[in-house]
Amino acid sequence: MATPAIHYSSLLKDLHAGAWVAISEKTMSVIAYSAEIQTVVERSRQQGETDPLIVRVPELAGTLFL
Amino acid sequence: MPTFEFPYLGFQIAPSDPFPKGQAAFRPMAVAELTASTGKRLRCLVCTDSGADSCVFPSSFASVLGLDILTMKKHLTAGVGSSANATASCDLHIDLGRGIQFTAYAGFTPGLDSTGFGHLGQAGFFDRYNVSFFQAPAQIHN
Repeated sequence: MATPAIHYSSLLKDLHAGAWVAISEKTMSVIAYSAEIQTVVERSRQQGETDPLIVRVPELAGTLFL
Repeated sequence: MPTFEFPYLGFQIAPSDPFPKGQAAFRPMAVAELTASTGKRLRCLVCTDSGADSCVFPSSFASVLGLDILTMKKHLTAGVGSSANATASCDLHIDLGRGIQFTAYAGFTPGLDSTGFGHLGQAGFFDRYNVSFFQAPAQIHN
């Protein structure tokens, strides 16, 4: 079985649409978020998380993706 | 040939005129670790997408991976609702965990920046693995 992508919606629900988000897969928590992906990565490293999962809060949450 | 499963991830779609109760979209997603020729890595979500011609990722990922899109080879790609997306390509190592890893000639396109996840398509992924889709259990158990 491949690495599962668990449901991250609950972690992202209070964040701004379009924000890039770094998630710790160890603690299942948001480490950093920003409009800029590089900022998110840098802030994660500053907090000791070198391999965060990078996701984005959907800009079009109400849109069916095709 | 290795056997593995991609669990479906449920996305709630807001109500709209034709679907006043909203919709649930189930997508076969996984976590992938990307490694570029620079040695830099990025962990992200990927969707196994048999409708994609090749493996493609948001262009924003390129900078994190230390890649310079301006110097990479480019071609135009299209998807539903978009066309003529400049897509820069290079070899990319993709690790899905549990021994499932491969190198694909992958693209980076601004057309995917709004979603923030990659697509594993025909060239590079489906030409290496047999993939079966069985969505029903996800709908029952999620």
